[in-house]
Amino acid sequence: MSWDLSRLEGGAYFIGLGNFVTLVNDARFWNTARVSLIFVVGAVTLEYVLGLGVAMLLNQQIRFRRFFRVAFLLPMMLTPAAVAYAGRMLFNEGMGPINDIIRHLGGPQIPWFSNPTLALPSLMLLDAWEWTPFMMIVLLAGLQSLPLEVFEAARVDGASDWQVFRHITFPMLVPVSITVVLIRALEAFKLFDIVTVMTGGGPGTATEPVTLYAYLVGMKNGNLGYASAIAYALLVMVVIFSMIFLNSLRRRAAAGE
Amino acid sequence: MQMSMRQSQRLKLGLTYVLLALWAIFCLFPIYWLIITSVKLPIAVFQGPRYLPWIDFQPSLHAWQDVLFGRFQDEVARRWTNSAIMATSSAALAVVIGSMAGYALTRFQYFVPGLKWRNNDLAFWIISQRMLPPVVIILPYIIMFRFLRLIDTHAGMILAYTVFNLPFVVWIMRDFFAGLPIDLEESALIDGASRFQAFTRIVLPLSTPGLIATYLFCLMFAWNDYLFALMLTFSRASTMPMYVAGMGSQSYGPQWWYLSALSLLTIAPMILIALLVERYITRGLVVGAIK
Repeated sequence: MSWDLSRLEGGAYFIGLGNFVTLVNDARFWNTARVSLIFVVGAVTLEYVLGLGVAMLLNQQIRFRRFFRVAFLLPMMLTPAAVAYAGRMLFNEGMGPINDIIRHLGGPQIPWFSNPTLALPSLMLLDAWEWTPFMMIVLLAGLQSLPLEVFEAARVDGASDWQVFRHITFPMLVPVSITVVLIRALEAFKLFDIVTVMTGGGPGTATEPVTLYAYLVGMKNGNLGYASAIAYALLVMVVIFSMIFLNSLRRRAAAGE
Repeated sequence: MQMSMRQSQRLKLGLTYVLLALWAIFCLFPIYWLIITSVKLPIAVFQGPRYLPWIDFQPSLHAWQDVLFGRFQDEVARRWTNSAIMATSSAALAVVIGSMAGYALTRFQYFVPGLKWRNNDLAFWIISQRMLPPVVIILPYIIMFRFLRLIDTHAGMILAYTVFNLPFVVWIMRDFFAGLPIDLEESALIDGASRFQAFTRIVLPLSTPGLIATYLFCLMFAWNDYLFALMLTFSRASTMPMYVAGMGSQSYGPQWWYLSALSLLTIAPMILIALLVERYITRGLVVGAIK
């Protein structure tokens, strides 16, 4: 690891907006911005859909409840660096069990992390393993706080399961969904440990998020000034993303009423 | 053919259990894989996937031998102790400081003149610290830590983790204190107790479950951290996750059996914490705080 921070003491001089000019023309930065954005949208959508599904399964009278809850919570408690290594073993194309199981089921061999196009979706899958539990517990709490009478009334009126979900459960879950999706999205922009250990940004720069680029520029190249500019750009991205997300939802809510 | 109501109910219940079981396998399989890889000989790892010990491979404790009593013993003990010291003490500090702030935000009225801020604005400002990507705040940390000579020290890391966890503690404990009945404190105050006595003798004992759950969460965040340790330590104060990460990036390729054993040592305390906090989480304590 390089700890050359000499530029900090020796050659620091004021360059105005120089770092931001570099940033705008930096193709590698724009690629990392694209990777981060695709990752956030893809991973959070996947986690929301899975989390809602599992929460609905758990929100019933079932046996072994405690076992299921602990098992389902476990992934989000585990150290990401260790999770990423477990991921590297599982997805390994030669000795990993995932491709092996797919082969036994008669499926094709998938180049999970060696193919530049597939690497980012594979990373989302790993992230979904670790963070779907978070979606699940929040949505489960949301489901449990819904008033029971409404569901009973719908049943009496002969609504089907799908109708109940589409017209009652889901609309009532929208507020908590917005919060939990936003929290997860803010967290997903911070993606660092899993990707650093899992792919190091590769193949090429196919999975390099902004955070990793800022780290590489700041620590490996010792250019803290430019790294700070990248970090600021990330902050701006996060703020703009949150504003667009909240505004579009508000507009949709207004249109729905 | 029409199914009777009862049959379709039973079918639905059966399907629920099948899906729950599948999801449980999905969640637990990676941990199972770590366990069986840690008892494989190198040859069993490279022969391709082997799933069941004693059936399709012969288990061996060679990796555990090396990690716990052999050539990795000293390093592992040092990193594990580092992680444990820094996580437990930073979590304790964060809970002590943060719960006082959380208490104050529910029992006193603050007003920041220039900004016209009240308690809710202050609380939001505190939680907004958590929204920044850590990469954004880590760069100034490096500069400050170098100036204060805190790089690669236990004190520095404890400080960094405490600051990192504080917003979470303040936010959760504020929620928790707001739900406590205020009458008990008021009668204590009338009986001549000081504010601080009311806090330590009445409020804190009542909030023990909340404090424990919050403490365990802080412990988890600090223990699992990778970025802060990567940026602010390099040897003396280095942690378990850093050791795992370093072990995998060796030039002769990752030695999966050692990596699995080390990963298991790293996640073992977290599995324990998951068992402990499960009921707090599902009781809605922590979830309530982020809604």
